[in-house]
Amino acid sequence: MDVPNAPANAATLAKTLKAMSDIVGAAAVFATAEDRDAYSDRFPIDPHRHRPYAAVAPTTAEQVQALVRVAAANRVPIWTVSRGKNLGYGTAAPVVAGSIILDLSRMKMIEVDVENATVLLEPGVGFYDLYEYLQTRNIPLVLSVPGNSWGSVIGNALDRGLGYTPYGEHTRNLCGLEVVLPDGDLVRTGMGAMPNSPSWQLHKYGYGPAWDQLFVQSNFGIVTKAGMWLMPQPEIIRGFDVEMDRMEDLGPLIDAIGPLRREGVLLQSPTIGNWFRAANILTTRKQWTDQPGSLSDDVVTAIRKQFGLGWWGVSLRVYGRETVVQANLDILEKALKAINPMSMKPFSWRPGEPFAPTQGGWMGVPMTFPLQSANWFGGRGGHIGFSPVLTQSGKLAMQQFQRSYARYKEFGMDYQASFAFGERHMLNVNAVLLNLDDPEFMKRFDPFLRTLIADARQHGYGEYRAHIDYMDVVADCYDYNNHALRRLNERIKNALDPAGILAPGKSGIWPSAYRKAGKA
Amino acid sequence: MLIAVACLLSVAAHAADPDGKQLFHQKCAMCHGPVGMGTGLLARRMKPEVAQLESREDLSAAYVERAARIGILNMPPITRGDVTDAQLASIAQYLSKGKP
Repeated sequence: MDVPNAPANAATLAKTLKAMSDIVGAAAVFATAEDRDAYSDRFPIDPHRHRPYAAVAPTTAEQVQALVRVAAANRVPIWTVSRGKNLGYGTAAPVVAGSIILDLSRMKMIEVDVENATVLLEPGVGFYDLYEYLQTRNIPLVLSVPGNSWGSVIGNALDRGLGYTPYGEHTRNLCGLEVVLPDGDLVRTGMGAMPNSPSWQLHKYGYGPAWDQLFVQSNFGIVTKAGMWLMPQPEIIRGFDVEMDRMEDLGPLIDAIGPLRREGVLLQSPTIGNWFRAANILTTRKQWTDQPGSLSDDVVTAIRKQFGLGWWGVSLRVYGRETVVQANLDILEKALKAINPMSMKPFSWRPGEPFAPTQGGWMGVPMTFPLQSANWFGGRGGHIGFSPVLTQSGKLAMQQFQRSYARYKEFGMDYQASFAFGERHMLNVNAVLLNLDDPEFMKRFDPFLRTLIADARQHGYGEYRAHIDYMDVVADCYDYNNHALRRLNERIKNALDPAGILAPGKSGIWPSAYRKAGKA
Repeated sequence: MLIAVACLLSVAAHAADPDGKQLFHQKCAMCHGPVGMGTGLLARRMKPEVAQLESREDLSAAYVERAARIGILNMPPITRGDVTDAQLASIAQYLSKGKP
C-alpha cells in the first residue's frame, strides 16, 4: 500500500495547530523543520516517508481530551506516542505523513501500591524513571525491562514488548486503563469504572467485556493512565547460562525448555539467541571482515571463538524462595544435561549483591547498551523487527530458522535472531540490522523483509508486532474468512472514530475515509 | 506482618526543575552513563576515560545543544517534548563546565 499523506490542507493544519496551542500553550507545540525531523523514524527505510507535521505535548488527560476534539473537528490525523522511543518499529513517527504527534512524554505520574505490588502510571514514565523511583525509596518491587529500556513502561506494554523476568510478557502486566476516546470521552476500564474502587489495579476484568487489550496495538483510544503489576522482589535468582555448539541443536534446546515453561518450572521468558548477539554490540563488522554479503562460516567461527559462544545460547533464570528455586533448578539442570550443552555456567544472585551490568536484564535493571548494535556497520544504522509467532516445537522452529537463514544469505544480511518463549507460544524475534549509509543495502532490505513475511505466512506464522512500514502487509496475513478480523477492527474503528483521526493505519486498521479514497 | 493499609506513594508530575547535573542524570545518563549505549560508542572514537560526557573538558554549551537536537551518528535527536529548551540549556551548561 502507498503511504498516504494527511488529508488536511496546509491552512487546516495551521488552524488546528493554533487551536492546539491554545490548549497546551505555545511552549508545548513543536513545528520547526528540526522538530519534524526529531519526531521522524530514526531506523527508517525512507526517512521522509513518515514525517509528521508537528508535535504537541499535553500534560493532563483533560488536555488530551481537548486536543482530540480539535483534531476531530478539523479531521486532522494525530499519532500518539508515550515517549516516542519505539526504535525498530517507527520511533515516534506516524504511519500517515503530515499527522500531528501527541507526545505524552510530560505526563509522568507514578503511584506505587507497595503491599499489592502494583503501580499506576502515566505514559511519559520511562523504565529508568520507574527504576529510579523504586530504588531511591527502597521499594522491594522489580521491573521487567526490554533490551532497549529508553522508552515508556506503558508504551512498551501497549506495543506488546518483551523482557526477561517472569513478568517478561509486558502486556500481561496491564491491569486497568484510563483512556481518552476519539470523541474526547474519558473511560476507565475494569474496576476503574467504579469511581471508588480499591481494586482497579488488582482485578483485570471488572464486570462485562474486558477492554484493556482493545487499546493495545490499536487506534481506538489514547491511554492516559495504566495500572501494571510489578514482581515482588525474589529471595534469590538462580539459573544457568547455556551454550549449544551446533546449528541443529536449536530443536533439542527448544524441546528441553518448552515443557518446563508450560509446566511452570520456568516462569521466566527465556530467549534463545544466536552467535551474533555479543559481536554486534561490542564490535563493528570491519573488525571481522571486509567482504560484502552475509558473514561467512569462517567469520562465524571466529566470532564464536572470541566470545566463547555456541551457535545458540540461552540464559535461564528461576526466581523466588530459595527452597523452591533450588528444587526447580535441579529439574532444570537434569533436563539441560540431557541435551549435552557445550557449556552450562551456573548463576546465582541475591538482592543487594553486586552484579555485572550485562546481567541486569534478569534483575529488571534498565539498559541501553544493546543499542550499540546500531553501529555494527561502522556508521549510521539501526534495526527493524521481523517477529513471527511460532509454536514451541523444536522441529518446526528449526524449519523456520532454516528457511529464514537461507533468505538472509540470499539477500546478503547478517543473521540476528532469537527465539523468545511465551507460556505456550514462541516469538522468533529477528532484529535485522540496517546500514543507513549504504543505499544499495537499503534497497535490498525492503524486498528481504517482505520475503520473510511471505515465507512465514505460507506456514501460518504471522508477526506479533510490526514497524510502521509493514503494518499493512502483516495485517494482510490475518485473512481468515475474507479478512473478517480486519473488517471487525474497522467496524469498531469507524464506530468509535467516525472522523478517522486517531492513528490511521496503526496495525493495518484504517478509517473508512481512507479506505474509500483508496489510500489503504 | 500484615500491613493494614496499602502504602501509597506518589510523585508530583511537575516538580520544580532540578539543576543541570540532576537533569543530565534523569535525561541523558541512560545512554551517557557508565554502561550506556552512548558511552560505549564514543569509546570507539576517543579515549575510554573521556567517553563519558561528564569527563569531557572540550564541550561547549552550544555544541551540546546542537548535538542533542539534531542527533549525531547513532544518537537520535532529543525531542523538545522529552527535554525542554530550558532543561537542555541547563544540561549543556553543566556538561560544558561554563563554556558558552
